[in-house]
Amino acid sequence: MEVGLKPGEISLGTTLIAVAFDGGVVVGADSRTSMGGSYTVNRVTDKLTYVSDRIYCCRSGSAADTQAVASIVTYYLQLYAIQHEEEPPVRVAASLFQELCYKNKDALSAGIICAGWDKHDGGSVFGIPMGGSMHKLPYATAGSGSTYIYGYCDTSFRQNMTKEETIEFVKTGVALAIGRDGSSGGCIRLAVITKDGVQRHFIPGDQVPALGVI
Amino acid sequence: MVSRVDVPKGGFNFDNYQRNLILQEKGFSLPKPTKTGTTIVGTKFKNGVVLGADTRATGDTTVMDKNCFKIHYLAPNIYGCGAGTAADTDKITKMVASQLELHRLATGRESRVATALTALTQFLFRYQGHLGAALVLGGVDVDGPHLFSVSPHGSTDKLPYLCQGSGSLAAISIFESQWRENMERDEAIELVKEAIKAGIFNDMGSGSSVDVAVIEKGRAEVCRGMEVPYPTIQKVDSYKFKPGTTAILSESFRNFVTITEGDAMDIS
Amino acid sequence: MSSIGTGYDLSVSTYSPDGRVFQVEYAAKAVDNSGTVIGLRVAEGIVLAVEKLVQSKLLVPKSNRSIQTVDTHIGVATAGLLADGRHIVNRARDEAENYRDIYRIPIPGKMIADRVGHYVQAYTLYSSVRPFGASAIIGTFDHDGPQLYMIEPSGVYWGYHGCAIGKGKQVAKTEIEKLSLDELSVVDAVKQAARIIYAVHDEAKDKEFELELSWVTAQNKRHEFVPADLAAEAERLAKESLNEEMEDD
Repeated sequence: MEVGLKPGEISLGTTLIAVAFDGGVVVGADSRTSMGGSYTVNRVTDKLTYVSDRIYCCRSGSAADTQAVASIVTYYLQLYAIQHEEEPPVRVAASLFQELCYKNKDALSAGIICAGWDKHDGGSVFGIPMGGSMHKLPYATAGSGSTYIYGYCDTSFRQNMTKEETIEFVKTGVALAIGRDGSSGGCIRLAVITKDGVQRHFIPGDQVPALGVI
Repeated sequence: MVSRVDVPKGGFNFDNYQRNLILQEKGFSLPKPTKTGTTIVGTKFKNGVVLGADTRATGDTTVMDKNCFKIHYLAPNIYGCGAGTAADTDKITKMVASQLELHRLATGRESRVATALTALTQFLFRYQGHLGAALVLGGVDVDGPHLFSVSPHGSTDKLPYLCQGSGSLAAISIFESQWRENMERDEAIELVKEAIKAGIFNDMGSGSSVDVAVIEKGRAEVCRGMEVPYPTIQKVDSYKFKPGTTAILSESFRNFVTITEGDAMDIS
Repeated sequence: MSSIGTGYDLSVSTYSPDGRVFQVEYAAKAVDNSGTVIGLRVAEGIVLAVEKLVQSKLLVPKSNRSIQTVDTHIGVATAGLLADGRHIVNRARDEAENYRDIYRIPIPGKMIADRVGHYVQAYTLYSSVRPFGASAIIGTFDHDGPQLYMIEPSGVYWGYHGCAIGKGKQVAKTEIEKLSLDELSVVDAVKQAARIIYAVHDEAKDKEFELELSWVTAQNKRHEFVPADLAAEAERLAKESLNEEMEDD
């Protein structure tokens, strides 16, 4: 049986979205890290974590567990890049996450999205939810805030969106979740990963779009 | 049959965990570890970091130490404030300080804050939160000033200003309202003092005085008792009893050893 | 041979004064005495062909194959001591499995060559072991297209457009050099490979041989033996060209 958070553990009650578009991926997240569901430990957290030059992971669940897993995967991918003399494919990174999450499922609470660009598959997104399964998806959501935006994603997601449309889709999704989920909040962080590199966007708390009737 | 006794060579000992289970089974309440109900803070400024801590150590609601030192040495250029279980923060900082010293001797280079951070987080993660050590880690290395916080479960945060411990809610309000980027050294020290005082005054687990450490490139200064917000009140009288206060009613002497005279021992 | 009687050729852990390891060179000789093995790399795949010398007519045809599959996309043909070749292939299978376990993708050509190369090299370091009396030609198809590598008993390996080892390697290599490999289809490569094996076979010294033919094609990226009808056709053409050659003489 997988565990929930341990007493006093710091959690990423989170909203995460990752969407693949032609030529890359857009990943987005809120920036709230909380403890015990009542105190914000960090209001400007970066939950979009580097694992290789063209691959990022989005972390939800226990901060300690996901940071540890991400740093182990980063190590493996550095080794891969040296031995193969080329950047690792996204599916390899996702497989490494999946293996660690599955083998240690009894000790971890980690919901991860692994996304990035590689020369074989272009932009791709993999969801690795709690329990350690792996799903290749056109887009993935995760974290406590994701439950609030299933309807939005189902109705608004379209195949073959442009980069700009994808960014807008992700940004709106995170903003909607922040509006409804108490455990998500703060700012919106985005990363656009393409062949040419990683472009980071930061939307401060006072510029997060206010949606719906307040 | 026990054929050999293994003497622990160091590290943590979890024997008391078993003892506590037995105590609990028999209906005794668990022994309370000394916790540093604490206010610890850290902030970056123009060319360094300032760390601050209160000096109260509590066991349950009793103050166990009125002037304990919570700013731990990790390297000449790195210090860490500890909150949580005093025994754990003491031990873990000493172990990492030792690792860093050996690493410096091996490499001949100044320790990096990231190295200390990695050692601390990997160690805490391995113990899955059973070590109650929360830290604010600060230092200046080849890459400039760094400030991190570490949780007992081994997660880290990187921020320009940080608070931890039971008084962190009071302290963070000071930073959230008064912190500015690129502060001067004196401004930063003043802000840290204010934040710790907020903890001392408003948090029951924090108290006594303010300790501060300032770390800049090539220079680290630790100031014990930089501010004592409410100094100990002088006792109005001496409570020492004068000799002879207790009356002697009777005296008796008794010999326990009989001394017999004899020839001196031949030591030739 | 200059090495004999000097005492420097007895152990793999002793260099000769001019910096040679004779045991490794002797291992290479074991390969040189073997039936010819060739590998061809063309745009759409790789072809492996072996002249397997048959020691006895009592042996069951197609047994003791010297071309083996290491992973779905990897074929290895060995020359030299068959048992040593089988050991190398066994290790290659372990490496391919290990790579799949970690990365969940098929091992690329250069990685399997590198890993097996390291393994073979380790047998040139210790006096307690004997270097492999076998060379391996590895044919794979990965993301970068068809790959052909050959590992020698010393552990060195190179990537090739075409390579040959064994008794007829010199003739085979000159024949391969005449081919325009980039323009050849895989089917034509199979026919050429069969022709070369037949051409280098020395009927005077070695009587019988069995032709082993395998490929990895772009079509399904799998290592498999060439279909029986194509193999038969290639063999027929090979014999035909041999007869023509004899008539020309």
